[in-house]
Amino acid sequence: MKPAPFTYARPADWPAALALLAEGARPVAGGQSLGPMLNLRLALPERVADLRHLPGYAGVSMQGETVRIGAGTTHAAIEDGVVPGRLGEILAGVARRIAYRPVRNRGTIGGSFAHADPAADWCAVLPALPGHAIALGPEGERRIPLAEFVLGVFETALRGDELLRAIELSALPPATHFGHWKFCRKPGEFSKATACVLATPGAAPTAVLAALDAAPLVIADASALLADPTAEAARLVATLALEDPWRAALARTALRHAAEAAR
Amino acid sequence: MSITLTVNGTPATVAAEPRTHLADLLRGELLLTGTHLGCEHGVCGACTVEVDGAPARSCLIHAGACDGASVRTIEGFGEDAVMVALRESFSAEHALQCGYCTPGMLVVARDIVLRLPDADEARVREELAGNLCRCTGYRGIVRAILGVLASRRGAAS
Amino acid sequence: MTATISKGVGASLRRKEDARFLHGRGRYVGDIRPAGTLEVAFLRSPVAHARLLGVQKPTGLVFTAADLPEIRPIRANSTLPGFRASDQPALAVGKLRHVGEPIAACVAPTRAEAEDLAAACVLDYQALPVIADMLAARAPGAALIHEHWPDNAFLETRRDEDLTDLDAVAAAKVTRRLRTARQHMAPLEGRGVLAEWDPRLEQLVVTTAAQMPHVTKTGLAECLGLDEGQVRVVAPDVGGGFGYKGILLAEELVCAALAIRLGRPVRWLEDRLEQLTANANCREHFYEVTAWADAHGKLLGVEVDATVDAGAYSLYPFSACLEAAQIGSIFPGPYTLPRFRFRTVSACTNKPPILPYRGVARTGVCYAMETTLDALARQLGISAQAIRAANLVPPEAMPYRNLVGKVFDSGDYPEALRRAVAAVDVAAVRARQAAGEAVGFGLSVFCEQGAHGTSVYHGWGIPFVPGFEQAQARFTPDGVLELRVGLHSHGQGLETTLAQVAHEILGVDPARVRLVHGDTALTPYSTGTWGSRAMVMAGGAVAEACRQLGERALAIGAALLQTDRASVRLVAGQVVAGDAAVSLDQVARTWFRSPQNLPANVDRGGLEVTAGYRPDPDTGTHSYAAHAVVAKVCTETGMVTLEQYVIVEDGGVLVNPMIVDGQVLGGVAQGIGTALYEEMPFDSEAQPLAGTLADYLLPGATEVPDIRIEHMETPSPWTRFGQKGLGESGAIGPPGAIVNAINDALAPLGAELLDLPATPARVLAALAKAGRA
Ligand SMILES: Cc1cc2nc3c(=O)[nH]c(=O)nc-3n(C[C@H](O)[C@H](O)[C@H](O)COP(=O)(O)OP(=O)(O)OC[C@H]3O[C@@H](n4cnc5c(N)ncnc54)[C@H](O)[C@@H]3O)c2cc1C
Ligand code: FES
Ligand code: FES
Repeated sequence: MKPAPFTYARPADWPAALALLAEGARPVAGGQSLGPMLNLRLALPERVADLRHLPGYAGVSMQGETVRIGAGTTHAAIEDGVVPGRLGEILAGVARRIAYRPVRNRGTIGGSFAHADPAADWCAVLPALPGHAIALGPEGERRIPLAEFVLGVFETALRGDELLRAIELSALPPATHFGHWKFCRKPGEFSKATACVLATPGAAPTAVLAALDAAPLVIADASALLADPTAEAARLVATLALEDPWRAALARTALRHAAEAAR
Repeated sequence: MSITLTVNGTPATVAAEPRTHLADLLRGELLLTGTHLGCEHGVCGACTVEVDGAPARSCLIHAGACDGASVRTIEGFGEDAVMVALRESFSAEHALQCGYCTPGMLVVARDIVLRLPDADEARVREELAGNLCRCTGYRGIVRAILGVLASRRGAAS
Repeated sequence: MTATISKGVGASLRRKEDARFLHGRGRYVGDIRPAGTLEVAFLRSPVAHARLLGVQKPTGLVFTAADLPEIRPIRANSTLPGFRASDQPALAVGKLRHVGEPIAACVAPTRAEAEDLAAACVLDYQALPVIADMLAARAPGAALIHEHWPDNAFLETRRDEDLTDLDAVAAAKVTRRLRTARQHMAPLEGRGVLAEWDPRLEQLVVTTAAQMPHVTKTGLAECLGLDEGQVRVVAPDVGGGFGYKGILLAEELVCAALAIRLGRPVRWLEDRLEQLTANANCREHFYEVTAWADAHGKLLGVEVDATVDAGAYSLYPFSACLEAAQIGSIFPGPYTLPRFRFRTVSACTNKPPILPYRGVARTGVCYAMETTLDALARQLGISAQAIRAANLVPPEAMPYRNLVGKVFDSGDYPEALRRAVAAVDVAAVRARQAAGEAVGFGLSVFCEQGAHGTSVYHGWGIPFVPGFEQAQARFTPDGVLELRVGLHSHGQGLETTLAQVAHEILGVDPARVRLVHGDTALTPYSTGTWGSRAMVMAGGAVAEACRQLGERALAIGAALLQTDRASVRLVAGQVVAGDAAVSLDQVARTWFRSPQNLPANVDRGGLEVTAGYRPDPDTGTHSYAAHAVVAKVCTETGMVTLEQYVIVEDGGVLVNPMIVDGQVLGGVAQGIGTALYEEMPFDSEAQPLAGTLADYLLPGATEVPDIRIEHMETPSPWTRFGQKGLGESGAIGPPGAIVNAINDALAPLGAELLDLPATPARVLAALAKAGRA
């Protein structure tokens, strides 16, 4: 199980990275999703461009009430509290349940979001949060609302000539409630149903249902779910017409648990 | 391509194809065969080594990304106090049988001991979830780590 | 004698082998790469059944069957009447019979380049109808996998007994159709082979991750047309076996032939994708069981129709029928079954062949029997404990011969049951159930025949029959005791336990005992490590060799002490006569370096003894155990959580209790995998659907609870120290006990689970069937 041949490039700055992309190079960040695909020859790039050494690729900065998380920030850094405040607490809780620590030490929030695996945790959580994905292309930065970033299975709003540079999120007040629930038979297994519910004081609660083998379902106003988790979860899942009754049951359970935890 | 990295404290320069992963680089080029391969897709943990101070899957880091990295393998812990205590405890608790998972287990165990000094049994099990062992049923491994945690807490108080 | 208590038989001595593994100094096949080694990747069949029309090779070293005519097909026969042997070609010839079957060997300096070659091959084939399911395999008109056979079965066995009269007298009768999944043994290290031709000795040296190096040597010699002296097999450190490393591999033959052909070391290391999708599987059973009982739960009779999906070929040496045909003889389990009828079928399908996994057929049999017993108990309104107590072989009947002729050596089966039940607060489970909680209590009781020998195996007529196990014991000139055995230790700790046995006999400090194993050039012939036999067989052989060696040492020691043989004894590694003593080191030094001091009548065999051992009778020891489980079921998601797991185990005299616990715990973890997680799904075209360990789930630290083990130690009357084989035991009991606990939890909801593994999806499907989800 060894990869097909490829060449390696390590761009020193963003223009160089974009140039490599334009030449068809495949970006790699933590390699925790691309790595297995390379080893299994499921991905056959001719060239990979390692983003990890780009200036400002990893790390968190605050601009007023906006938190900017570099795409190259690892799950482990987030787990360890690199993001401040209530938002940081919420993200740390999610990060801790991604994969295993040695994977989290390399895997990045940007790599995960850009990869858009339907079972991925960030794809299930970020769309519920107020903020934007910051894409960088030949024309400069583009802001994509988080709820509109993942378009399908392994499909995002990023264009072929763009890189994901950062995630910008609004800081959250301490009284924010958050619920996150996923179904895995064992830690690190691909989730079979993930839901999260965010209830920020003074704003409509939001929710996401993911791991559906499709784009996540983003619920912009989840008030009904918070009011009656069981009934609304059943109604929402019924609208999806899932084929497998077990997956439907898990989806209902995920929504209900997430909602109850966010109350 | 030519890769320069520090392995177990010693600088090394090796020639490798970019597609070669760190585990094969260590095992094949540097003859450090203590790092094992059990899946080459990130799940089993047998290949776990320390990269830039933190445990990582050496099967998922390809050669280019290793350039400039500092790597510590099971062969590189020498008389490190935590590793010495873990080795002793692993043997006392019969935490290994065929030994194939052991190097990866020890690297992760050491990280648990240092990063989570207050970990209880449930947390230790959760943190071990990314390291498969097909022989022991884990009880010895869990007890060995809990034992080292307890003795360090005892020593600290 | 304190030394004996702390280091001999019965001591939880720490393992001698630990130090090298804890420092990363284990040496496995993949760690060995002589200069000039070429690596192999295999072009494998992408389809389950097809006519192979040709391979277009890229430039490079690519070998198909036509290029390696010196390799004869692997043929694992059985002399059981009606058995059909299959010719398993090392590289496919004419037909492709399962996904992953090797077609061509691609050879290059690195594995990656070898895989490039394999990717560049173009395969031409014509698809044939696929047999993906064992029950469909014998349907009229089914495509034939081996075209000269009348149907797709390796073997059918039966025991006919008319049970129809039981309907009239039985208080309860149940019938269940049960399935167990296809699994992988999945040792953490895969298979691996390094073949070299030694021109000086004109010898093929094959270093391979194998449990049975001598049997591999015999198989290699047969298939390559070499004499056995021309083949040396070395099994270095091996990263877990569990049965997976107990077969002769097509890949071993190909590497060996290539090493001879190319004059270079040739290596193939199995990767996880190959292991999961191409190589041997295990454990796919289907049962239809009918059981009759009286009002007290006493079994009146059992009828079982069992089919095992044996895959496409009969593997060497165990053959395609061992698993299924054994079902007939072990189904009665630890019970006094009065009447019994069975039929077993070893079905041939377009899937990878199966081979015996830890527990062999017992895991499936125990699952079928134990769940059937609970179904009977539920129908009768009696407890799971009561129905077992009514049927277990009582201690006063030991040794007990059951109706199919199995002889149980010793033990108190009902006591194991009592203790297992007592270890769990069953009343608390019942109280939680009454409060509406989906929680359940489950039991399984079983016995495990181990170390069965010639008298059992000659009847199978498979490529090997175990005979006398031999061990060699010898002193080196400095007084170190060297033991040489032909079986292999790959986690079982034999480097320690056999040193304990030697210490028990000779008093030599285990630190001064070295075990040599895993090299056919250095050790006596042995059928190897399988069938829970190592500690009984090698333990007995080492004890006997040490005893004889001790006799020789005593004779020399007596001469050195200037006394007669009758006046000396061995005490703590010394030859002692009254107050005078001479150490075994001195005895050894005398033989090797001061022979002038030897007595005139000294045994000229010197300080080197090879002794053979076989228990008498050699029908095998029967260890046994009761497993008790409390499981909670989430009726919303189908998720099962194991809350408590208790085992009461009787392995006879335990040579090293710590290591015994390790064997049991490791087995239970695998059994939990069988019960709840592990399953290789195939689609209707027999394509394997799990190619990574993210799809094929192995239990991790979070899935295996903290298990409690209690020991009973009824010595086996037939073995050297009273030890019984129990290496496989842990893997046998879990599916029965766990599913019984699940079904106990589901019973109030009218639901029952029948198929393994008990995944959340299956639990919910069972609830849905009962109208509860
Ligand atoms: C054993 C195992 C278990 C796992 N379990 C979980 C889990 O429970 N939950 C979970 O969410 N994830 C899980 N993962 C996936 C893990 O979280 C990955 O880290 C993550 O999906 C990818 O991040 P990465 O930085 O490693 O990306 P990479 O693997 O480097 O890249 C992933 C993809 O994104 C592209 N890409 C990367 N960065 C960018 C960028 N900046 N711009 C544009 N494209 C980019 C790459 O080209 C590639 O296609 C698991 C992985 C493993 C190996
Ligand atoms: S070999 Fe790297 S995680 Fe299994
Ligand atoms: S000791 Fe064999 S895999 Fe852990």
